[in-house]
Amino acid sequence: MALTFARLKLRVLRNGFRGRPGKIALFVIGLLCALGYGSMAALFFLVPYLPDGPDWAAVIPAFGGTALVLGWILMPLVWFGVDETLEPGRFAMLPLPRTVLLRGLLIAALLGVPAFGTLLATSGLAIGAGIAGGPLPAVVAAVGVLLGLLLCVVVSRAVTSGFSRALRSRRTRDLAAVVLAVLAASLGPLQFLLTSGAQQVGTQRLAALADVLGWTPLAAPYVVGLDAVQGRWAAVAVRLAVTVVTILLLAWWWSRSLESAMVGTAGGGEVRVRAATGAPVARFFGRARQPRTAYGAMVVRELRYWVRDVRRRASLITFAVIGVFLPVVMNLGPGAGGNAVAQGVNGGSMVLVGALAGLGIANQFGYDGTAYAMHVVSGVPGRLELRARTVAYSWYIVPLLLGLAVLNAVLRGDLLLLPVMVGTLFAAYGTGLACAMHVSVWAAYSLPENQNPFAINTGTGVAKSFLAMAAWLAGMVLALPVLLLVLLGGSVGAVLALPVGLAYAAGAIWLGLLTAGDILDHRQPELLAAITPRT
Amino acid sequence: MIEDSAFALQGLVKRFDTKVAVDGVDLAVPAGSFFGLLGPNGAGKTTTLSMAVGLLRPDAGRALVLGHDVWQDPVRAKSLIGVMPDGVRLFDRLDGTELLTYQGLLRGMAPDVIDARVTELLDVLALTDAGRTLVIDYSAGMKKKIALACALLHAPRLLVLDEPFEAVDPVSGAAIRDILTRYVAGGGTVIFSSHVLEVVERLCTHVAIMANGRISTVGTLDAVRDGRSLEEAFVAVVGGRTSTGSELSWL
Repeated sequence: MALTFARLKLRVLRNGFRGRPGKIALFVIGLLCALGYGSMAALFFLVPYLPDGPDWAAVIPAFGGTALVLGWILMPLVWFGVDETLEPGRFAMLPLPRTVLLRGLLIAALLGVPAFGTLLATSGLAIGAGIAGGPLPAVVAAVGVLLGLLLCVVVSRAVTSGFSRALRSRRTRDLAAVVLAVLAASLGPLQFLLTSGAQQVGTQRLAALADVLGWTPLAAPYVVGLDAVQGRWAAVAVRLAVTVVTILLLAWWWSRSLESAMVGTAGGGEVRVRAATGAPVARFFGRARQPRTAYGAMVVRELRYWVRDVRRRASLITFAVIGVFLPVVMNLGPGAGGNAVAQGVNGGSMVLVGALAGLGIANQFGYDGTAYAMHVVSGVPGRLELRARTVAYSWYIVPLLLGLAVLNAVLRGDLLLLPVMVGTLFAAYGTGLACAMHVSVWAAYSLPENQNPFAINTGTGVAKSFLAMAAWLAGMVLALPVLLLVLLGGSVGAVLALPVGLAYAAGAIWLGLLTAGDILDHRQPELLAAITPRT
Repeated sequence: MIEDSAFALQGLVKRFDTKVAVDGVDLAVPAGSFFGLLGPNGAGKTTTLSMAVGLLRPDAGRALVLGHDVWQDPVRAKSLIGVMPDGVRLFDRLDGTELLTYQGLLRGMAPDVIDARVTELLDVLALTDAGRTLVIDYSAGMKKKIALACALLHAPRLLVLDEPFEAVDPVSGAAIRDILTRYVAGGGTVIFSSHVLEVVERLCTHVAIMANGRISTVGTLDAVRDGRSLEEAFVAVVGGRTSTGSELSWL
């Protein structure tokens, strides 16, 4: 039975690739990335077993394992989504016992790039144990690694499916997505804080923390190899027991939520109908002071969608959290003084965040889905369309960026830096927007229209977000002239940074609108096809 | 023939991967006609109509709306047609009034005209009661009606509707039929796809039957029926299997 599920999953994957060389290429890129990072991590996990490795290496399995498990919990929720190739709801009509279904879905979930990468990465632990302690510790470590993988997969399934149960009604779902976005977005900055903190705390405290983590399910399966090498068999047994019990508990939770996930969203709470009053046009615009034209209408609609569409809102909030934390952490690090390095780090962080801000529109058409057909049949000009979308997005982002610059200047205790920071930040925002605009026209991808707000389509989505990464890089590179002006221009550069930065941004956005807009005019049907979910 | 037709398709072809979905469709829809495009599932009706209104780029062929090529002169052509695509989402996080207003503004209509028409359309289609309910929370029938309202709003000379009667309850169906009949009586042209033969038989002046990506039969309703019922004519053209009475005996 479980084999049937595995075959089904592979078949669905293969059929998804048929006749789509681009998708295959992107899948291969994803696979290569997993291979690269996985082997790197595997070598890293080998370090604690080396005979004359550094003494801090003993904490690697505990911290690495914890990071992996946390990643599996949080990443699917906000960043990548869950691979719903085999959606539980599809099996609702089949007379399958719950345990059979659970086992099948679990095996299907194990067949994927992330699971492969994780297995590859942690395999270093088993190899290391084998080198250091011989076959028996190697077997123990391998069992730990396999249990760890099982734990990762089950926990990510249980959490997403548990949440989608709690998120039956749209309102609570939106709220929860926002909360999760904040949580996951703060994960990265938190890591920064931890690592910079670790340098000050010293190895001894870290070892103590690693010891505690080793007894929790977060790291237990990954440290058994070291125990086995050192002959602490009681510890091995306890840690493996902790892991197994956790897996069983999570599987139980998953199976509970699975049932309701299959029943679907029938009856989504009471519906209150509020009467619509006032003239339609006046009501449409509300307090927005936009012109009563197609352009104004699109701006207002976009403004509303950035708030009403949970995916868009989640992306805004993710950016807000990352955007606030990243420069703060970078600037409060070691060299927070007024030297050249600190100045470089500061300017660099502004460029990084500015370009990242522009990235929010990289899949702006994907958010709309097939609703975009309305613009196509109405013959909306491409430049107008992109201008309206950019203006609406900036309505939310520009105040955020300004606040961010002020916050940084205050934290560094030097308000005179503010104009320089704003100039660099906005120059990068402009170039980032221009690049993201092109990505949004050339490489839009569909987001599934199903009930799980965290689901994405396998392959295309993840792969095309690599293109967004490329746009981020390109945005940063294009903003370099302004950064160089600030860094090398001395006092003249400092004075010129603000006007030059703003003009640079305006120029970049204008060029982006012209070029991407004209392309959009010729690509409307292709774009619509790209964002139409394949059923 | 082509010149005085409101809507003309010439040699439209569309391939997906290796499958030919539409294989050279020629069609002339006379001005003022009520034109039904029939065909079994997968015959290529939606693909044809999508190419005809600019939603899907054809591999070959032309689509003319009142003499304007949809793919050469899209702005002019698109301003003349009202489209209701099938299986397409709406901007469903707006409520009904907002959605219609948005469509009107996209079409560049004057605000006072939008105000008057939106109120009247919602009233006629019995959607006023929905108030501020977001379109995403509408029933399937209500979504069809609001989509039809979007197509009608700018008073186009030609309406292209994909499956307008699917998932619509009898009361709403009657309302839609009534609106379309009056629209044609006022000089408009309607082409719609359907597989509800009964509705087609009741409404249409002209009929075309599609099968396997080609137009098999086309003409006035009476010419296509040729003395039979439309269902008989349809099955004869499409070629369904006839029951021998012995299969599925275990049921």
